Amino acid sequence: MRKKPDKAFSILLIAIIVFFSFDIDSFAGQYRQQRQEMVENQLKGRGITDNKTLEAMLNTERHKFVPSDYKRIAYNDRPLPIGHGQTISQPYIVAYMTEIIEPESHHRILEIGTGSGYQAAVLGEIVDQVYTIEIIEELGKQSIEVLDKLGYDNVHVKIEDGYYGWEEHAPYDAIVVTAAADHIPPPLVDQLKDGGKMIIPVGSPFRVQQLMLVEKDGDSKSTKNLMPVRFVPFKRADDYQ
Amino acid sequence: MIKFLEKFRFEPRLLLALGLHSVAIIAYQLALMQMLSVIQWHHFAYMIISIAMLGFGASGTLAVIARKWFIKRADWMIPSLMILSGLFMVISFPLSRQEFVQFDVYILFTEIRQFPRLAINYIIFFLPFFFGALAIGLTFIIYSKKIGTYYFSNLIGSGIGGIVALLILSYVYPEQSFPIIALFPVISGIIIISKKYRFFQYSCISLSLVLSILFFFNPPDIKISQYKNLSTTKTLPKAEVIHSEPNIYGVIDVVSSPALRYAPGVSLSFKDKMPVKPSIFVNAELYGAIPKHNDTAEYNIHDYTTMALPYVTNHRDSVLVLKASTGSAISHALNNNAGKVNGVIENQAIINLMKDDFSDMSGDLFNHSKVKINHQESRAYLNEHHGKKTYDLIVLPILDAFGGTAGLNALNEEYDLTIESFQMMWDMLKPEGMITISSWMDYPPRTTLKMLSTLVEIAEKNDIEDIEKHLVAIRSWGTITFALKKTPVNPVEIEKIRNFCDNMYFDPVLLPDIKPEERTKYNTLEDDSFFAYIDEIIHTDRESLYNDYGFHIRPATDDMPYFSQFMRLSSIPYLTEVFGPTEMPFLEIGYLIVFITFLQSLLLALLFIIVPLFFLRKTGKGKFPTFLYFGALGLGYMFVEIIFIQRFVLYFGHPIYAITAVISTMLLISGIGSYLSSRIKYVQQSAAKINLLIAAIILAYALFLTPVLEATISSNDIIKIILGLLLIALPSFFMGFSFPLGIKHLSHNNESHIGWAWGINGSISVIATSLAMLIAVEQGFIIVMTVALLCYFLAFVAMQLYKKQQ
Repeated sequence: MRKKPDKAFSILLIAIIVFFSFDIDSFAGQYRQQRQEMVENQLKGRGITDNKTLEAMLNTERHKFVPSDYKRIAYNDRPLPIGHGQTISQPYIVAYMTEIIEPESHHRILEIGTGSGYQAAVLGEIVDQVYTIEIIEELGKQSIEVLDKLGYDNVHVKIEDGYYGWEEHAPYDAIVVTAAADHIPPPLVDQLKDGGKMIIPVGSPFRVQQLMLVEKDGDSKSTKNLMPVRFVPFKRADDYQ
Repeated sequence: MIKFLEKFRFEPRLLLALGLHSVAIIAYQLALMQMLSVIQWHHFAYMIISIAMLGFGASGTLAVIARKWFIKRADWMIPSLMILSGLFMVISFPLSRQEFVQFDVYILFTEIRQFPRLAINYIIFFLPFFFGALAIGLTFIIYSKKIGTYYFSNLIGSGIGGIVALLILSYVYPEQSFPIIALFPVISGIIIISKKYRFFQYSCISLSLVLSILFFFNPPDIKISQYKNLSTTKTLPKAEVIHSEPNIYGVIDVVSSPALRYAPGVSLSFKDKMPVKPSIFVNAELYGAIPKHNDTAEYNIHDYTTMALPYVTNHRDSVLVLKASTGSAISHALNNNAGKVNGVIENQAIINLMKDDFSDMSGDLFNHSKVKINHQESRAYLNEHHGKKTYDLIVLPILDAFGGTAGLNALNEEYDLTIESFQMMWDMLKPEGMITISSWMDYPPRTTLKMLSTLVEIAEKNDIEDIEKHLVAIRSWGTITFALKKTPVNPVEIEKIRNFCDNMYFDPVLLPDIKPEERTKYNTLEDDSFFAYIDEIIHTDRESLYNDYGFHIRPATDDMPYFSQFMRLSSIPYLTEVFGPTEMPFLEIGYLIVFITFLQSLLLALLFIIVPLFFLRKTGKGKFPTFLYFGALGLGYMFVEIIFIQRFVLYFGHPIYAITAVISTMLLISGIGSYLSSRIKYVQQSAAKINLLIAAIILAYALFLTPVLEATISSNDIIKIILGLLLIALPSFFMGFSFPLGIKHLSHNNESHIGWAWGINGSISVIATSLAMLIAVEQGFIIVMTVALLCYFLAFVAMQLYKKQQ
């Protein structure tokens, strides 16, 4: 009579041991497959064509930049909370922002608002040097740790107020502002190269729908609101009929 | 039951206990509302409280299922339930702040795991109301023949509860108010404590008192949502809360940080250092940055924004700043040499702060010799002063927020942004005067389009023929400012505007001689639809755009004063397709949450109403009339209350005055009605007649209330208060008869239905709040009033049905 529960207990114990003996990284293959699907469906499917961007998105392990609770859905087509009221942008937005600034390997890029560090890592896959500034100390420390662990030596993180940019490495070929404020800091515009591009997402944390491109040409500056192609232009109902 | 009566012999004590207990239920509800609005948003407060208040419905259900069991044990059950209610008033909030149950309404639509947390929150806050309502319900069942007196005690207590909450919240933080409020039901329990189960009762009393003291002096960390402005601001380097105070207008916090800069949509041509300004938060949402005014400053930061438009074209000597917040626009007007600036601010606590504590920090702006600060709602100010052609310029604040508000203001009644309000502004302008209003650019455009349609309709109403000659709009990378001028904009002014735009990298959007290519010279939009829509509003078939567009962009009116409500139910499938299911809700989350609140309370209420029917199968006829009568009363009473609040917000000039006056007067006067109802002998006939009379009064109010209020709105305060209270009191008095007469009727004819009736009334009252809001938003208040009228007529019909069935 007593043998049955013992047997069941042993099976359960073995199952638990087997389960926990798998390192989470042993699911790496599974994550890679999810990344491939993400690139095919969410990025190429919506018009991201730049090979460098697509390759960077394929190589960057997004699941390592999200809180452990969200690893399972790291490659879903959505932004995810990372604490402190901040998010890791949805993959498509990261790819779109990367593609739009046309990064080249010799470029030097400044990012304001490191957040999880994911956008910086994607850029780090393409360009020589990425300088990124995070104002929230805890997030900054976390991203430094993750980026170090993953070997992104060309991504430099500073925990500071990003308003003043990072003057010693200026000018920059592009500036990516992921933590937008209600104004565009003049020092950032100053640190942008002539012909350089600055991209700023505008929207609440879970609804980045408008991306704004600031272009500098000598003394002249202009802005362009870009519509991520995922969202078909919003029109009145009868425009569709 | 007779035994119980004999045993107690303490009716006066029970009446007192019931009254005190009722004080606590209402005070706790209001304090909880305030607390949940601080840690989340007021929509979350609605969600939680609507379920919590269904405790009334659930108590009715239980009272039906276990009626005999409860009646047998009523002598110790009633005090025990009161004490338990008090105990849970103390512990529910600290429980809800535990890590594993913390919930964030902002990410409800994106995180499935928020749902179980939400459910736990529902249960936590349901308990104090459930125990409290069960104590009241049992009292009513046992004393059904004297219901008038007991209902009187309940209503008077509830009326006083509103005032008690107001007093407590004026002096202590909401999290500290719970232990104070919890003392009321505990004292109620002590007053009528029974000899049975004394150990249990005294244990609960001791525990409540100990925890009350503990949580009052050591309140739990309230853990504000990480998505609220205050939380994100506190993450800035060296952020420091330099002032904090509880207040009836909401909890006020002032935060400073060297990284806190305020320059909304400032031009790319601005090269100077951005000013660092401490900011004021009300209920953890940004209220405004404190400007450092300097009369001799070379420039004001707003000179580099689109809000400079009115000062670019002309000198504006006399300026009215509505919703002046912390006074940035006042400082801007002074720096542009205004001779007289009137600022209107609804929050007295902010005025006091700016005049006293932060006077130095703000350059003594609010005490400036050229500035007059009026403590009023903007609309109340307009009501009082319209007709006097006083101003060269009327400035409205920047609407929406950077990145959008996600529709969190959708259900706020904004009387200062209705057509009627703009008409008053127009009437207050001097011949060359101008109204300006600004907004963040939104996508899809809705705030901007509704703003324009309002200005265009005002111009039309005032027989302006060439509207395009009176309208100007300029746009930066992030903001747009519209201006409507009484006289046509002249070529000199046009030239100045064009030059200003060139200097600032702004684009003119509306000018009398605008060329299409000018509109995107410096700032290109994602497509040209915005320009097509604004041209359509000005030049062509505006009405068809209103009807076809995916959002409500028809101007708000006093009957539907929801300027920030853009969501159309019929557009939800289309918007979901365009924006995706997880992101669409962030367009208009406020409206969706009220909709969900309605659905969930409807489902649960139906459950609480239907389940008792299985236990009432053998109780004979009369179930339908009982449902109809008490359901109609639940809906009707709440609808009238909501209509009164909506109408008297305008009349008394402030929501807090209006809400307090309406709720307290209605409950107190209904209490008197209820007391007098106990003298009525012919219950059924009288109930029918009184309900018909109430329906007739509502009909008269539907026809005459608004004209009477409009005619007397400019009278002196004493006349307004007396008239206002009389108008509220008249129907309330008769409405106080309906419920006790209904219960009395049941006590004579079908006593077993009393618990069910109590539950129906409670459940339907909860549905009524969100339903009234949805009807008001979609159809206007006049329809809410019509439904209220219909409800009391149905109550009359229900009494006729009873008669037929006898």
